[in-house]
Amino acid sequence: MAAEATCGAGAGSTGSLAAAVGMSNVTSFQRRGPRVGGADSGGPRLMSIAGTRPSVRNGQLLVSTGLPALDQLLGGGLAVGTVLLIEEDKYNTYSPLLFKYFLAEGIINGHTVLVASAKEDPAVILQELPAPLLDDSRKQELDEDIYNHKTPESNSKMKIAWRYQLLPKMEAGPVSSSRFGHYYDASKRIPQELIEASKWHGFFLPEKISSTLKEEPGSLTPGYIKLLQFIQNIIYEEGFDGSNPQKKQKNILRIGIQSLGSPLWGDDIFCTENCDNSHSLTKFLYILRGLLRTSLSVCIITMPTHLTQNKAVIARVTNLSDTVVGLESFIGSERETNPLYKDYHGLIHIRQIPRLNNLICDESDVKDLAFKLKRKLFTIEVRDFYVSYIKG
Amino acid sequence: MTPSGSAPGETRRKSEMLDSLLAFGGLMLLRDSVEWEGRSLLKALIKKSALCGEQVHILGCEVSEEEFREGFTSDINNCLVYHDLFRDPLNWSKTGEALPGGPLGALTAMCRRTDPGPVTIALDSLSWLLLHLPCTTLCQNLHALSHQNSSLGDSSVQQVRVLGLLHEELHGPGPLGALSSLAQTEVILGGTVGQASAYILCRRPQQRPTHQTNWFSILPDFSLDVQEGPPVESQPHPDPHTSLVDPMTHLTFNLRLSKKEREAKDSLTLPFQFSSEKQQALLRPGQGQATSHVFYEPDAYDDLDQEDPDDDLDI
Repeated sequence: MAAEATCGAGAGSTGSLAAAVGMSNVTSFQRRGPRVGGADSGGPRLMSIAGTRPSVRNGQLLVSTGLPALDQLLGGGLAVGTVLLIEEDKYNTYSPLLFKYFLAEGIINGHTVLVASAKEDPAVILQELPAPLLDDSRKQELDEDIYNHKTPESNSKMKIAWRYQLLPKMEAGPVSSSRFGHYYDASKRIPQELIEASKWHGFFLPEKISSTLKEEPGSLTPGYIKLLQFIQNIIYEEGFDGSNPQKKQKNILRIGIQSLGSPLWGDDIFCTENCDNSHSLTKFLYILRGLLRTSLSVCIITMPTHLTQNKAVIARVTNLSDTVVGLESFIGSERETNPLYKDYHGLIHIRQIPRLNNLICDESDVKDLAFKLKRKLFTIEVRDFYVSYIKG
Repeated sequence: MTPSGSAPGETRRKSEMLDSLLAFGGLMLLRDSVEWEGRSLLKALIKKSALCGEQVHILGCEVSEEEFREGFTSDINNCLVYHDLFRDPLNWSKTGEALPGGPLGALTAMCRRTDPGPVTIALDSLSWLLLHLPCTTLCQNLHALSHQNSSLGDSSVQQVRVLGLLHEELHGPGPLGALSSLAQTEVILGGTVGQASAYILCRRPQQRPTHQTNWFSILPDFSLDVQEGPPVESQPHPDPHTSLVDPMTHLTFNLRLSKKEREAKDSLTLPFQFSSEKQQALLRPGQGQATSHVFYEPDAYDDLDQEDPDDDLDI
């Protein structure tokens, strides 16, 4: 391969080198070790962390979001050290699902999980995580779902493209043997043993803030300050930023923050027009991103951006996050009864994908995505307007 | 409920709306406006809860206590615990009758209530509280209020029900949206000429929100009379679906096949399909091909090799 590549150069010295390379299979150029992206390069030894894999494009360390379909749309997974922002749908029906899939993926892979919420007790949130689908039942689920969606034409033997009859059906997700992404059964709860065996930290705002602290203008709201201190403590004490060099096994910290920016956090950015402390949320995101970039952690944040019409706020928040996914559900809107949309429960918008150590980002070509929550699975697919209409 | 000589089915329908509203705990938001006032519905709900034997606490801010208690019978009035913020909200008279701490103190005092059993707390009104307290503080206190007594064990049983009256014309979309996102049930009052309606939106956790519209009227003793809606002709009912089905009719390609077309399509032999007829036609130099000849004139550069290298091949 290298010989052919250097053929075009035509220089004498490279020609001899190319010949030497071509003759023996072992090249004299040795890689020191696979380049692990993110904040921590583990030296010459490859230390693989459970539940992560390097990106095929630039070697960036990726973790799964818990939904293999979403992983594929985001370019393989979520990069370690970044923030995934989910813009909640209007009645907050489907964004908690994505939040829970993320946390469940962390529990299954053995990552440390940090859950922060102002609304629900983190222990209650962890109890409600979906159960993972085992391998054989997963294939059964997928096969039965794919079968239900077969169009009448494809049921018969293919007449023109008969060579493709023998190919196996493609699954919507990575099928690597190291189980990067898992499928979950939304109708079942995660087994209690898995939660007890995992390491998790909870931050429930009403417990942490007992008295009304005096808020200085221009600074963060007390709830945000407490949360940032909590996250910083966990990162430092458990060595996610490399501060404890004797740690035996590196692990990922998965942080989940629910409904950030809602009035329950003490932040009035979404509920008042001219609020005094309009920069509290943006400062929080900035500091959080700094914490994440210097540690082996990944964060998911759900935010009720539908509460505000202020596009400036939404634009600032989007710029300060890395990956932004918006959910738009059809509940209560006129699209619910529209025959064109009846197969789906909502639309999913990939608003931003980060460019990490890169000039371009891994945007998928498909822009028209819809999701539906089937009995057990949450699927994301391209919105197929004509097919759904033909099927009736 | 006043039976007033009606059939059992009708009384069931009358009480159904209130029952469905009071079935779940949490925060219920009653959004009214100048045309369709909500205080009478609030009082109807209070009366129903009192009749069910629950404790009822009322935080009155907008109207005086006498005016609020008007219309209730004496036994219901004895059940109600009234916290008066109307007479002296800022505690200027210093007689000790006013609630300590003002509105915020009153709310936090209700949060720290320790009596067991189901309780209904009516806030009249949330608009007044929104004007006197920051929105975030009110939201946090409402959340704490409606999630009292819910431990890990019986999180499904909500002991506390908070009824909040909100005048939606007084507030911008921000506070309205914030309070709506907190509420488990939202009742928006509206109506057409002479008939009041309630658009009820229920948000249960883990489930999809459900909504329905009920037409009702409130009798002088604060019981509810559910009615049929107004006649259909008076309701303008836009039908967007007819216009949306149109894209299918103006296509330049045919999405559907008629039976004949499908048969013709199935029986068509594709050019690259290797069927037995084609095989025979290729192998047999048929009579139909007698009219086609190939005329070959070799020019100077052609090499007519007599030794055909393919001779030893066995075709």
